[in-house]
Amino acid sequence: MTVLGTPAQTRTPEASDVTSNFNSSSSSTKGPAMNPVLAVTQLHLTRKRMTFGVPVLYVGVVAVLSILISLIAWRAGSQPGSTGWIVSSRSNPGLVWALGGFLGYMGVSSTATTFRFAITLGATRRAFTLGTLLWNLVIASYLAVVLTVLAALELATNHWFVGFYIFDIAILGNGNLPATFAIVLLGVLAMLTVAGVFGAAWIRFSNRGPILLGIGIGLVIVVAVLILVPQAAQIVAAFEPWWLAIAAGVAIIAASLGSWRLLRRAIIR
Amino acid sequence: MTDHLVLDGVTRRFGSHTALDDVSFTLAAGSICGLLGRNGAGKTTLLSLIAGQDLPSAGTIHVNGHSPFEHAPTLAGINLVRDNQRYPDDFTVGNVLSIAPRFLPHWDADFAKRLVAGFRVPLNQSVKKFSRGQLSAVAIVLGLASRAPLTLMDEPYLGLDVNARRYFHEALVRDVAEHPRTVILSTHHVEESESLFDRVLIVDSGRILLNADIDEIPEIAFTVSGRDDAIRELTAGLDVLRLHTVPGLASATIRGSADDAFLVRAEAVGARIQGVSVADLVTAFGSESAAEAVAA
Repeated sequence: MTVLGTPAQTRTPEASDVTSNFNSSSSSTKGPAMNPVLAVTQLHLTRKRMTFGVPVLYVGVVAVLSILISLIAWRAGSQPGSTGWIVSSRSNPGLVWALGGFLGYMGVSSTATTFRFAITLGATRRAFTLGTLLWNLVIASYLAVVLTVLAALELATNHWFVGFYIFDIAILGNGNLPATFAIVLLGVLAMLTVAGVFGAAWIRFSNRGPILLGIGIGLVIVVAVLILVPQAAQIVAAFEPWWLAIAAGVAIIAASLGSWRLLRRAIIR
Repeated sequence: MTDHLVLDGVTRRFGSHTALDDVSFTLAAGSICGLLGRNGAGKTTLLSLIAGQDLPSAGTIHVNGHSPFEHAPTLAGINLVRDNQRYPDDFTVGNVLSIAPRFLPHWDADFAKRLVAGFRVPLNQSVKKFSRGQLSAVAIVLGLASRAPLTLMDEPYLGLDVNARRYFHEALVRDVAEHPRTVILSTHHVEESESLFDRVLIVDSGRILLNADIDEIPEIAFTVSGRDDAIRELTAGLDVLRLHTVPGLASATIRGSADDAFLVRAEAVGARIQGVSVADLVTAFGSESAAEAVAA
């Protein structure tokens, strides 16, 4: 046991000492606490490896797997640069599955495992929701920059000097760099926020929360499909990529509002 | 003294279970209050409501004139670390110490480091791998170093060894003397903690059974012990909070103070009269007879 210092001169606490402390920071504090929303973002950012390391690791693993698959295709007789090679390489959805799965986990766990501690530290539920959304935006921007830079490098090196299509792929905008940035930014943000609302549902209603939410979302999608399926051909014909951006925006806003509504009355146990 | 904590008719129901039932009390600023009662009495629910971590089903709670729920300036002045506090995945104590000052305006980083060293808590090990005692130590570090004007501690002793408990007592007494604040401490280690309190709240079955200044305790009840038959006869018609018997002998805790007539009668039958400690009162109020007495 270490000694705490010289014994204090015991004195009776004055009520005014306590109440006046309520809205002021102590002189022994290095500085005032930061904005509550930024503090929540900072809380998430404390997990640096999770925020900045693991997503890039997933991108790296997918890149290596894509190269291996390309090498197998090459050995099997497909020629780099041929039309068939380019079309099949660009159709590779591996990045979506690998990164999407991880981002789903990340979105759920960021809310499910951090909320209680944030509340303990004095965050409001609104500050937690906004701070988590800001952290999601940081990750989305970070991954958008990383994947756009990698796609730019791929284009600049004529697909890594051998014709490998790792980041110049359909799901990332077929080498259109502004599109790559926008797709990753909105896609990652949508995945994290939608996953976050499942985490919030778990905090609010325990195990049945995510199940009921999943069933509810599934029902909405099925009903929407039932309504729209007669016009499917016209919709496909008229489809514009910006529709997806609008859909992502709606999903992000709806999920953030949903998280806040669920967390607002969640009981800390 | 200023009442900076005011609860009025607070009830908290979870489905059909009533965890708190019409609880009203006030607490003056600068008090160190012991929140005592049996498991499931409603202590954690009460602390959670005061900390703004939950909303009452009925009634109001005001801390410095504001409802704490979702009121950021009020929440910044309250700290409650739960006995089962959860931390983000892979969080270390180093992470806790680095993030706490971002939220807690009164945080003292140097004090936190001294406490971590004093409790011998590893800085870089995942909190998930901590023992029960180490988890309690982290909760105490957060609670004390937060210097929150309203510091709530929920079973801070769980798993702590005797040295760590003594260290906590010393740290709490010294720090509250130097940096006055209101502390509500929920504990089952009543005898060890009794000397810390200037006020006690005893809770049972979601109701406040006693809210008293520590100096008032001797006036609240007394214990009389002796031969079983003599004690039963002596206490007939009195407000018996608890009657404890072993073959041939009995000890009764009686509400109120013994008057001269009672002292004479007790002496005549060889009964012994003693004052009660806070621990005695908690036991008495938590017993079946007390529950019946309150219900009556």
